Amino acid sequence: MELKEKLSILADSAKYDASCSSSGSKRQSNGNNGAIGNAHYAGICHSFAKDGRCISLLKILMTNICIFDCKYCLNRRSNNIKRALFTPEEVCAITMNFYRRNYIEGLFLSSGIIKSPDYTMELLIKTISLLRNKYHFGGYIHAKAIPGASEVYLKKLGSLVDRMSANIELPTSSGLKLLAPNKKEGEVSKIMGYVRDNRNKNYVPAGQSTQMIIGATKETDLNIMQKSESMYNNYKLKRVFYSAYIPINNGKNLPSINIPPLKRENRLYQADWLLRYYGFKVGDLLDEKHPNFNILVDPKASWSLQHLDEFPKEISTCSMRDLLKVPGIGPTSAKRIIASRKHFKLTFNDLKKMGVVLKRANYFITLNGRYNIDSSLFNAKFIEGNLVLGEINPNTQVEHLEQLRLF
Amino acid sequence: MNRVYIYNGSFNELLNLIAYLLKNKIKPDNIHDETYNANLFDYVINLDLPNKKDIISKFHDYFGSYNMHLVYYVYLSSVQNKELIIFYYLLNYFKYRENLPKMRNLKCVSEVLRISKQVGNEAHRFKGFLRFKELKEHVLYATIAPDNNVLEIISCHFQKRLKNEYWLIKDEKRQIISVYNKKNFYIASTNDFNLKDLALDDKEKEIEKLWVTFYNTIFIKERKNESCRMNFMPKKYWHNILEMSDNDEESY
Repeated sequence: MELKEKLSILADSAKYDASCSSSGSKRQSNGNNGAIGNAHYAGICHSFAKDGRCISLLKILMTNICIFDCKYCLNRRSNNIKRALFTPEEVCAITMNFYRRNYIEGLFLSSGIIKSPDYTMELLIKTISLLRNKYHFGGYIHAKAIPGASEVYLKKLGSLVDRMSANIELPTSSGLKLLAPNKKEGEVSKIMGYVRDNRNKNYVPAGQSTQMIIGATKETDLNIMQKSESMYNNYKLKRVFYSAYIPINNGKNLPSINIPPLKRENRLYQADWLLRYYGFKVGDLLDEKHPNFNILVDPKASWSLQHLDEFPKEISTCSMRDLLKVPGIGPTSAKRIIASRKHFKLTFNDLKKMGVVLKRANYFITLNGRYNIDSSLFNAKFIEGNLVLGEINPNTQVEHLEQLRLF
Repeated sequence: MNRVYIYNGSFNELLNLIAYLLKNKIKPDNIHDETYNANLFDYVINLDLPNKKDIISKFHDYFGSYNMHLVYYVYLSSVQNKELIIFYYLLNYFKYRENLPKMRNLKCVSEVLRISKQVGNEAHRFKGFLRFKELKEHVLYATIAPDNNVLEIISCHFQKRLKNEYWLIKDEKRQIISVYNKKNFYIASTNDFNLKDLALDDKEKEIEKLWVTFYNTIFIKERKNESCRMNFMPKKYWHNILEMSDNDEESY
């Protein structure tokens, strides 16, 4: 098989993994004469695909041959598709050629499970060792750990890469049993626990991440976010990625949808940010009575509307924590407000220049005692209506609008 | 009359001039490099100050490295009146000292912060969007056309990343080129080089095809969102990005 065809098969099989980040590592190339590459702590996006997703890493599978039969997966054993297997030298050659030309920030190497988890891990380790030791590649590498592999392989692979991760795929074990009968939740947690306990500047320096598929099973947003929260707390994950279910296969256990739930995915990412950077807890945002996010307004605005008695916040005096509760204010603008307000009296125009999105924040703040709009309009119905209108713009995709109409 | 002070375009000379103006308590109406087209109401002054080599480090010691970082990035921008913005920013340092960057209600401060961030962002983008082609003799060659003069910033990046390669990066807007010899890079005018006879390495087209194949494959058609792509990767950069300029989109 020609290399080009192999690449197109094994990139096609890898593309449903959402992780693209190349941040969090300070790796420098070694002193060797032929050494090449380093990691950029903030990460670098090298291109953007037609779907708007960033391309940072050469995202490929070692092979799409797989002994598992996960219902949602393109590479499941029961699918009749073309199969390919890279040799370690081929992966190295493509990576080096792309990296030298600055097409990519590094390699994302995953794999279908060929023969056994340990055999697959050995193949990944062989490839990445070659890249690090023969080609002296100092760029970013994200490798997938294969669930069920022995610890000795986890130890070896983690010492070669910047990030190592295993995908939990579904938030509950019942969902996993339904769609990924060969995958065991305990095996993924074992990998996460191992990485957490061994992580240092030479072992998985950029930390671990995971991914969940959204909308393939009946789980609610509450189930999903609780799973995320517990993984952030228990395994110190850097990121949880959410991937809207895309119907590739047919099967009796799979939902029959035509459009991936992209808006729902977007709301989950927004909520995920609230957990990591805004001091929110899942319990603040969702409960058994309201187990799903409002599709029409973002989770923070939705929370603010339900807690309108806490607002408006006075910008010139309120705490960092309170600033972060205001829709339209994020960590960057909050920091700027706190740094500046000691030194001069802020105006609404100053807030705008600091990056506050006034068309959202206006409803929730006072500045030096002044409310920027007609105070008789301070009620949840009016504000919600305006926030919803503000979010729908002519560029909003048709499928989003179709989802909106359901409500 | 508008008193317009002229400098030779280098950062060193700009600081030299600003030091002179601050010392003599002169507030200029404008500061501009030699390309300035004077009009009827301008009084153009070219002081031809003696060259002071250590002026940059003196400014660093006095104004602090963060302020000098901001000011340097503004200098690299293509904003009109950038020299005057820099002048007023440094002038205000005497009043606000280390609190200066927090005084966002002053126009010169908010402008310096905004412009320097814009330059930094564009430089960061080019660390990703720049595409090298391999020439004969294993030389890597790239062309960029950034809005701001980010060539030096990205050269520093590639000096670390591709330290054992020979590379050239040409800024086609400014007609300058950065040349790296596996040790240092220097930036010169493209007039000093014969760039016409550059021949691609024999393998180059094949590797480019592989990349375009990968680029087209990684796209998930159920998630198609071209306006999102355009936000992240504006069209003005496309002609130098291999997969965007050379891409047969009809195949998808």
